[in-house]
Amino acid sequence: MSAPGERTTHVHLHLILGAAVLMTLYPILWVATIAFSGNQSLAISTLPENPDLWDRLRAITPWPETFSFSNFTSVMTDQPFARWMLNSAIISLATTVVGVFLACTAGYAFSRFKFPGRRQGMMAFLVSQMFPGTLMLIPLYIILVQWLGLGSSRIGLILVYATTAIPFCVWMLKGYFDTIPKDLEEAALLDGATAGQIFWKIILPLAKPAVAVTALFSFMTGWNEFILAATFMDQELMYTAPVGLRFFVGGFSQQWGYFAAGSIIVSIPVVALFLFLQKYLVSGLTAGSVKG
Amino acid sequence: MKLINKLVCLAGLLALTAGAADAKKVVVWHAYRAEEKAALEKVVEAYNKANASKGITVQTLAVPYDAFADKISAAVPRGKGPDIFIYAQDRLGGWIEAGNTVEPIDFYLDDAIKARFLPTTLEAMVYRGTTYGLPLNYKVLTMIYNKKLVPTPPKTTGELVKVAKKLTDASAGRFGLAYDYANFYYHAPLLNGFGGRVFEAGAKPVLNAPENAKSIDLVMKWQREDKILPKEPSSALITSLFNAGKAAIVFSGPWFLGEIAKGVDYGLAPLPNIDEAGGKPMRPWITVEGVYVSAPSKNKDAAFDFAKYLTDLESAKVLGLEGRQSPANKAVYDDAKVKADPTLKAFRQQVDVAVPMPNIPEMSMMWSPATNAMNAITKGSTPAKAALEAAQQSLAKDVAGLRKK
Amino acid sequence: MANSAALSRPDEGRPVAPGGPVGGSPVPPAKKAASHRLRFLLGVGIGSLIAVGLSYSLLSQAREDAVTARHQRKAVVSVLALADLVVRTGEDGEAIRKAVSAWREQAPAGSQARVILFNGLSLEASTHPGEDAPRRLKREEKELYDQGQRLRAAVETNREEGVARKEEIEIVPLVGGSSRLAAPLEREGAVIGLVEVQTPTAGVAPKPNVLFALLAVLGPVALLGILALLLGERRNALAAIALGGLALGTSLYAWHSISTVVGDRRAAQEEVADYVRTQAQTAQGLLTQLNLPLDPPIVASRWDANVFRQPRQLLTAEGKTDEGALGSQLALASSDATRALVGVGILALLVMLAIGFGAVARLFSTFISNRQAYAYVAPALLGMLVLVFFPFFYGITLSFTDSNLYNTSKPLTDLWVGLRNYVDILSDFEISRSTPEGGRVVNYFNFYWTLWVTVIWTITNVIIGVTGGLILALLLNTKNLALRPIYRVVLILPWAMPNYITSLIWKGMFHQQFGVVNHVIAIFGGSPVSWFESPFTSFLTALTTNGWLSFPFMMVTSLGALQSIPIELYEAARVDGASKWQQFRSITLPSLKPALVPAIILSVVWTFNQFNVIYLVTAGEPGGSTEILITQAYKFAFEKYRYGYAAAYSTVIFGILLVYGTFQNRVTKATEAN
Repeated sequence: MSAPGERTTHVHLHLILGAAVLMTLYPILWVATIAFSGNQSLAISTLPENPDLWDRLRAITPWPETFSFSNFTSVMTDQPFARWMLNSAIISLATTVVGVFLACTAGYAFSRFKFPGRRQGMMAFLVSQMFPGTLMLIPLYIILVQWLGLGSSRIGLILVYATTAIPFCVWMLKGYFDTIPKDLEEAALLDGATAGQIFWKIILPLAKPAVAVTALFSFMTGWNEFILAATFMDQELMYTAPVGLRFFVGGFSQQWGYFAAGSIIVSIPVVALFLFLQKYLVSGLTAGSVKG
Repeated sequence: MKLINKLVCLAGLLALTAGAADAKKVVVWHAYRAEEKAALEKVVEAYNKANASKGITVQTLAVPYDAFADKISAAVPRGKGPDIFIYAQDRLGGWIEAGNTVEPIDFYLDDAIKARFLPTTLEAMVYRGTTYGLPLNYKVLTMIYNKKLVPTPPKTTGELVKVAKKLTDASAGRFGLAYDYANFYYHAPLLNGFGGRVFEAGAKPVLNAPENAKSIDLVMKWQREDKILPKEPSSALITSLFNAGKAAIVFSGPWFLGEIAKGVDYGLAPLPNIDEAGGKPMRPWITVEGVYVSAPSKNKDAAFDFAKYLTDLESAKVLGLEGRQSPANKAVYDDAKVKADPTLKAFRQQVDVAVPMPNIPEMSMMWSPATNAMNAITKGSTPAKAALEAAQQSLAKDVAGLRKK
Repeated sequence: MANSAALSRPDEGRPVAPGGPVGGSPVPPAKKAASHRLRFLLGVGIGSLIAVGLSYSLLSQAREDAVTARHQRKAVVSVLALADLVVRTGEDGEAIRKAVSAWREQAPAGSQARVILFNGLSLEASTHPGEDAPRRLKREEKELYDQGQRLRAAVETNREEGVARKEEIEIVPLVGGSSRLAAPLEREGAVIGLVEVQTPTAGVAPKPNVLFALLAVLGPVALLGILALLLGERRNALAAIALGGLALGTSLYAWHSISTVVGDRRAAQEEVADYVRTQAQTAQGLLTQLNLPLDPPIVASRWDANVFRQPRQLLTAEGKTDEGALGSQLALASSDATRALVGVGILALLVMLAIGFGAVARLFSTFISNRQAYAYVAPALLGMLVLVFFPFFYGITLSFTDSNLYNTSKPLTDLWVGLRNYVDILSDFEISRSTPEGGRVVNYFNFYWTLWVTVIWTITNVIIGVTGGLILALLLNTKNLALRPIYRVVLILPWAMPNYITSLIWKGMFHQQFGVVNHVIAIFGGSPVSWFESPFTSFLTALTTNGWLSFPFMMVTSLGALQSIPIELYEAARVDGASKWQQFRSITLPSLKPALVPAIILSVVWTFNQFNVIYLVTAGEPGGSTEILITQAYKFAFEKYRYGYAAAYSTVIFGILLVYGTFQNRVTKATEAN
């Protein structure tokens, strides 16, 4: 793809990115420091008397005084944390599948069909994000648990998370579908392809980067949610990982060491998912495929 | 083969659920983890064993503290909740006013049961003259000190200032006394000690009571003149300072003990008496976790029977010694093992002067204006009286807003 | 050339290909317009069916309510009369039982009563068959005791607070039309027990006349039918006649309904007044018969009370109807009814016009011709409808009520306050107030201050997030960049970590004495900043935290969008000698727009409602100056327990965002069009 012989070292780019990485990592390194310290306090750096520059540097360096894995082992063994991670994974993946599927169909319709109510429909999806969720818990409980009987079930949570994620996904995908030239479809139509074939075989593969972004977003929606999961699930084995995490910091006692260790464990799958999706983010569209 | 296995499993499962349908199930929701949870489960197991013949089984569900109150408010009034739940008294008034959540239990209470508890803890379970729960345990602030730095804990505020001044070196981040004094909950011992209060009968707010201002003046003296307190206190900061040996004395509760790093030798002692208030004791707010029977429960009798069991002497021993709670049961403190436990003993001593934290729903409106006032006073230059007056106005407006028709 | 197609506006300005997926083809010409006469006939039929049907059910509901209300008023008279008797006995059990049984003999057939005294948990007297008294209450009779305690607490609360907030008489309807009432026994200011009365069954409400209803439906149809024969297919004339006929039929029926309701009410009033007089005579007789104290004298009109034991004041002291009070109440009732019926009438007229002018038919045919598009959108929309829009409408409804912790068990219709919450929020312009010292301070709890903070918060955050994310995405999109995958993964970490802990870490970093930020400042020789002491610096801490949290999302979104730009475009531009900046302006930015615009619109909405960061980092410090609207709404709901007010607050937030959304939509549309 790249022009041959174009080998630059990008030093200035690395400098900027390095600074960004430092900024990004610094607070996270503090999380790691707490996690590996074996203690439970939210680390705050203290200084000795008459600090010299070296002391000050030490104070701002996120590195535990003693190294210990005890927080990690406690998190994994005190509670059925692995099980909760699994629940989270199932729910978040299902949310991703449901959310992305619904968003793809709706986004495609918004992009390609002209129908009365199209603008209003798009607006309705946007509007749904505008009403603050503070008072939503009780009505959601009434709908899901009392009316639909989906209390303490994964399906209930998946539906809620998917509907939360859909508006962004629809808007994102619609925007992306808009950039895909219609000539492709027109050509396929002439070749006798059906609407379904065009959607699945032509549009979706071309929209991979956007689908990857929306998938990541949908996954995150389900992955980090806490209050609904804790409210709807009536069995400990059905809890999700964020619910398990919050056990460590509720009320008076706050075990930050456990919470930090748990946070790191919880973010690993997200990073893994992102790594997996990266190749779709970069493979992307080669609009040249219709050339000629 | 596999299919047959599955079928057998399914049949077994069906048989199990069918059997369970006859038996009475009492579901308990709590917000415990770690050793508290283990101790509770141990008591439940003992109860289930003893009552197996009656066909009663108790099941527990741990709910994270941050979601507990919302979950109760969503589930219980709709008949979807547990038979029993365990929670501190601060939300009690709110649940009672919302209705169909907490069952009154005066009818069940006889003098023998009432006599079981430390009177202050039972008092915390009473809302508008009716008792709504059995007290299980309590939490209260006390004095925690670093034994290496403070050989004998001070008994009066005068001694406290003297000891603390010696141990303070603000430029080195070293303080004789550290506590979250801008947080109204941590300020309450002084407030109550001076005879101050936040509400009077009929939920009438009195944040501007002159005693309240006096109690704050004392903190300000400690911070500004004696300089024994750190600035911008927060619970995370206090923990870090104490663990680093940079705070000699802190005022905190049982939760703090779990955050103390290994290797710090600490002791507990009652909060000092206030010289400035004529030698009266500092009186912390006591928060009591009650065992409540849920109003829509279908097994109220069985539920109350378990609540009784959970608060009796034997359970209190398990919950106290293994669960590291401070039981509300009075008799447990005569037990030899409990007597030998310095932590339980210290908190028990502190209860005698503690005041039940008000359980009226209006209490939740108090925190925000009160904390704002404390911040304005301790950080800025607003005098206590003016800040409290502003807080009082804001609180009175909110309380009136709830009653507007 | 295909590449240019990628840049052309997607759906505007391009002819839509016929058939296939691009098949939301224009509405096909209607086969043959249906007759106007038929349409208007149908419209009038359905319209009057709706109007009269709804009115009929409202009327029969009102008549039933009237019977229940009459029944309850009489029952309240009974229970208060009995309580009056029992209180005069002192706490003497024998006397109580005598009084109760004497009362029972005078009471309407089927009445029963119980008296419970708190002292000793005793059932002191009972006329219920098979119930012996006195005795201690049994375990399964706990509810009686609890009810008594509830009434005691209610009486005490109302007295303490000087308001009528809690019901002092509890009414429980029983199956079969009777009901059970409980009232407190109040002696010398203290509630000592309760009196419970079970009433005989309430009468059955008379059904409204069906014949009138039928006439009101068929009359307008017949009228239109006859005139239509004369008028033919003249649409406007038909519409006028349909309108007039429907209006006439509906208002005649409404007039009939209202006069029926008013008549019912008047009759009920007479019956109650009668009942009070006989009860007063009986009670007076029992007092002498049982040797009970005659002082204080009985004032029977006070027995006709509401559930707060406040006299309704529809009776004079002698027990006669107070015509003035009754008249004003009836006027109120009939104006309420009129309002409801006018609403019904308007609805019917609209339906009629919609059918008559063919709007319904057009709607239907549009739906059919675009069914494929709707089918694609439907699943997502259905989920949203159930799980998002329903709670949303619930919230809006709540905002028109005074719902709060103290009245959650009451139906919302009883709590209706109209626009009061909105007026309270929006009409408070006290943005600053003067201090005793003569200066002026900002009132941080004022809505407009919080709105100002929220707007600044949103704008600055989105600018930071978008610029940061976009710049990083562009850098990462550089070809042959070493370590690219590593950068990419590291830079999304803020998004991957639970923000609960990272927000608190940031808060810790801004600590005045021990925070890292101040350490760094010290290293460079500065003096430490007390970040949470002034609104501006406090705001900066939240801004930094949120910027850190939100740039990865923008970065990932931009990365996805950058992939849609064909490399050939840049190559072509380079050949044409365009500079990097020119390439960015004319290729990159326009291509990013379809993906970036929705992301920005949504992130404005999200940031506007970003709760966690403010709540965890600044917590509104100092003095509530850095609260944003959403945290304020949260406080109204969960700290101040004013659900209705909080819902109104949320709706205002929604309104602001909606205005923004519409405006944004216009702007986007305008830019798309050029």
